[in-house]
Amino acid sequence: MFKSAQVVYLIRESFAGFHRRKLTTGVTILIMGSALLVLAMLTLVTLNMGNMLEKARAGIDMRVFLHDGLDNARIAELQPRLVVIPGVQSVTWISPETALAQFKEGLGEDAAILDLLDSNPLPASYHLTLTPEARNLKAVEAIHAEIAVWGEVSEILYNQGWIDALESWTFRFQMASLAVGLMVFIAAVFVISNTVKLTMAASARVIQIQKLVGATNTFIRIPYLCEGMIQGLLAGILAMGLLGLAGWFLDDRLGGVIFFSPQQIIGFVLFCVVLGLTGSFAAMRKYLTMQSEI
Amino acid sequence: MKSSNTRPDQFSEGPLDSRTVIGFYHVDLAYDDQKAIDNISFTVANGEFLCLTGPSGAGKSSILRLIAMDAFPTKGEVMVRGMLSSKMSRRKVPQLRREIGFVFQDFRLLEDRSVQDNISFVQLVVGISHAQIVKNNMRVLTQVGLYDKRHRLPRQLSGGEQQRVAIARAMVSSPKILLADEPTGNLDPVNAQEIIDLLFRINDAGTSVVFSTHDHGIVKSFGQRVIVINEGRIESDEKRRVPVNRKANLADKMYIAAARKERLNV
Repeated sequence: MFKSAQVVYLIRESFAGFHRRKLTTGVTILIMGSALLVLAMLTLVTLNMGNMLEKARAGIDMRVFLHDGLDNARIAELQPRLVVIPGVQSVTWISPETALAQFKEGLGEDAAILDLLDSNPLPASYHLTLTPEARNLKAVEAIHAEIAVWGEVSEILYNQGWIDALESWTFRFQMASLAVGLMVFIAAVFVISNTVKLTMAASARVIQIQKLVGATNTFIRIPYLCEGMIQGLLAGILAMGLLGLAGWFLDDRLGGVIFFSPQQIIGFVLFCVVLGLTGSFAAMRKYLTMQSEI
Repeated sequence: MKSSNTRPDQFSEGPLDSRTVIGFYHVDLAYDDQKAIDNISFTVANGEFLCLTGPSGAGKSSILRLIAMDAFPTKGEVMVRGMLSSKMSRRKVPQLRREIGFVFQDFRLLEDRSVQDNISFVQLVVGISHAQIVKNNMRVLTQVGLYDKRHRLPRQLSGGEQQRVAIARAMVSSPKILLADEPTGNLDPVNAQEIIDLLFRINDAGTSVVFSTHDHGIVKSFGQRVIVINEGRIESDEKRRVPVNRKANLADKMYIAAARKERLNV
């Protein structure tokens, strides 16, 4: 294990690099921060788009219309049968009168046209809301198949076109996010790794001399790894800070923009620290295995 | 790595006793099939001053690399302080390097650290306490006459001063062997002579010194053992009984005297 003087030296050296290589370190943090900012932005856009899609999904529901002339007892016994169907969250009875009132409300100023009708043409129905897990085409079709065979049911309506479109958009969005996310992630890792390599190249001679005088690889490596971690930390904070600022600015104008939770921010910054650490570790290998060129 | 003080059995030729600190036994070294060292055998005794000479590319630096175990023989065996190259693991190399001091033509100082920090680093590597490091720095920097300049960066020193820092760094851990690769190559005769004098003083204190140079003027001034290397082979290995001139030849002496006078005037 290291002795106290060595520990003090290693800690001091971990920060000394920032002072010695102000420009390279500054540029490294800026480049890392920019790459991470792009990554974080994409993650945030994905989160917000996902949130919007989820909100849109909440609008998926079903309307079960009943035949005319059913007696109240028969209508009433349908409700418990509907509630127990997997995927159904709530069941609301809509009488023909309520349906007409809702329809009138929907027509607004044109509602007077309904006064020309002799009788109420709207049938009684049940409005079904669905559990979040059932808000997809497959589940909706399964529920439809189960109810459609009931004799009391005349028609079942659900916004199939909307669900189809939503499903399709969700799939495309997920694929696009995955592809772009992967590309941005690879680009970020590449940029960070190369930036760290440049820093290392500037230190190659120092590393060679350290090896020459008998320093072990671990002893040489520790300050650089710590430096990489600190760079990752600062770059992560920079990216989050800029994104937070942009989020605050946009929220003022757009409203409802969701930002990372405190846990997600900590997770992201930790990810940046690990990225800085692994970048330094990988970049150092080359110089530690090089010969001393005596 | 098992260290051994005995010569490997398969290399039974050549003198070897308990005073041997470096042994080369039928050593070949090739870089990409290009032979740099060809069947070289010699030993260096404890406290010996050996001068390796020969033209550029003769293999002098390769011999130093083999001693530092920065390169390993393609054939034969190198023994340094009882450690055999064939049984040396890379993890043990730093341990060996701590017993060897290095001085180079281009000084190899940590440019972004002060004189003091350059010397401290070698001691930190082996875990010497801070208080002891301060004492050692004072001792070696006083010896090389640079204590007053301990806070300066290498680039703020002259070539001769930088080389003295390199020597102080090499000596601070009291190594058993000092490898000097063309240490006077970048220096004017005054500074070169000072460095050679310093190396002799180090040798007088008991450290084995392997000094490599292609400068015939310096070689002639040695009253020590000189091995001449050419095309990777030993051309001659002789120990001079009567020193020609341990200090400097006449031309250098005149230059040194003039330069010293000039310095005083400045």
